[in-house]
Amino acid sequence: MKRTSPSVSSAERRGTLSESFENQVLGLLPRLRRFAIGLAGSRADGDDLCQMTIERALARRDQWQEGTRLDSWMYRIMRNIFIDEGRATTRRRETFVDPDAGLSVGGEGGQEAAVELSMVDRAMARLPEDQREAVLLVMVEGWSYKEAAEIVGCPVGTLNSRLVRGRDALMAMLEGAQ
Amino acid sequence: MSVTEEMLAAYADGALDPAAAQEVEAAMAADPALARKVEAHRGLKAMLSAHYAPLAEESVPPHLAALLVPKDAGEAPAEVVSLAAARQKRGLAPVVRRWAPLVGPALAASLILALWQPWQGRTPDGYAGGDLAAALDTQLVADQPADAPTRILLSFEREGGDLCRAWRASDEGGIACRDTTGWKIERQFALGEAQGSEYRQAGSETDLLAAAQDMAAGGALDADAERAARERRWAKP
Repeated sequence: MKRTSPSVSSAERRGTLSESFENQVLGLLPRLRRFAIGLAGSRADGDDLCQMTIERALARRDQWQEGTRLDSWMYRIMRNIFIDEGRATTRRRETFVDPDAGLSVGGEGGQEAAVELSMVDRAMARLPEDQREAVLLVMVEGWSYKEAAEIVGCPVGTLNSRLVRGRDALMAMLEGAQ
Repeated sequence: MSVTEEMLAAYADGALDPAAAQEVEAAMAADPALARKVEAHRGLKAMLSAHYAPLAEESVPPHLAALLVPKDAGEAPAEVVSLAAARQKRGLAPVVRRWAPLVGPALAASLILALWQPWQGRTPDGYAGGDLAAALDTQLVADQPADAPTRILLSFEREGGDLCRAWRASDEGGIACRDTTGWKIERQFALGEAQGSEYRQAGSETDLLAAAQDMAAGGALDADAERAARERRWAKP
């Protein structure tokens, strides 16, 4: 079956190599955006982080080796940008956003669910960045410990201990909410 | 005591090899506190999954998807150089910033101003007529002429599905929504003369975009969605 929507016909004009790269990134975007919003703590900052990640990936597309996993490559780019930007972000958050105000990045739900969800946001915002990324990569994004360590660029043991510290801190902050 | 905190967490994640898992299971059988800890780890994971899962179900904002379509399909959004710079975006209010990459090209092009001709003709009170109605009917953000007297800034759906469009001319602008009669003008703003570079805009244009954001049920329509809406003659989807 041949589709004739404008987006398809314009995509057909392009080389297959670049088409597959862009379409693959597009397919990863929902997950990448979830990771970005989790890292950055708000939709607006998460979307900006997504945009920077896409731009850097497009600029460096020739550094990605076909046949290797594009998703872990994209996650690595995103976390590197976030860590590079981290100090400015943290400073701004401390200045302008009261962590107790709640950032509510999660899904919608009943009123009770909403209260609980914003508690998760607040707790995540209080975690150090290295623990937050370890928690998100393994517990939300579903990477194995080894894969997460490769994305972060640290030994598995380091990733593991960050993850445990992050979990313990979250459980202490969320006690009774489960 | 050979079972560490790391092992307990990894066991809860199913990340231990069988031998280590057996070790943890034996320790849990002997010590209910360890079993409770594993349950707490599983509960936390379930809570985080439930919290973040809906984000990956959302549709991606059009300005991000637009980065991944061929350049000739539309103007590239403004580059975000750093998060801090993006936030400031040269004075754009935060409420507008999220749409700025999408509407930026339209704003920039609107600085090339041609003569503004007030519309004429007989139209019902409160509805757009003449040139404005024609612009609302026909112009698309993606391909409208750079020197169009009336620029469409963006299109969106409001609650209930009505199609709405924000426009600006040289010294005024507004938001109109389509109903069975025509383009009902919902908001109107007197705008200062646009001047300066790219994102410097009259304060009241910021108000206009903020008003649009308040009215919108979702984000702005992307080029394809806008074209489809025009083909439907701006009827509800």
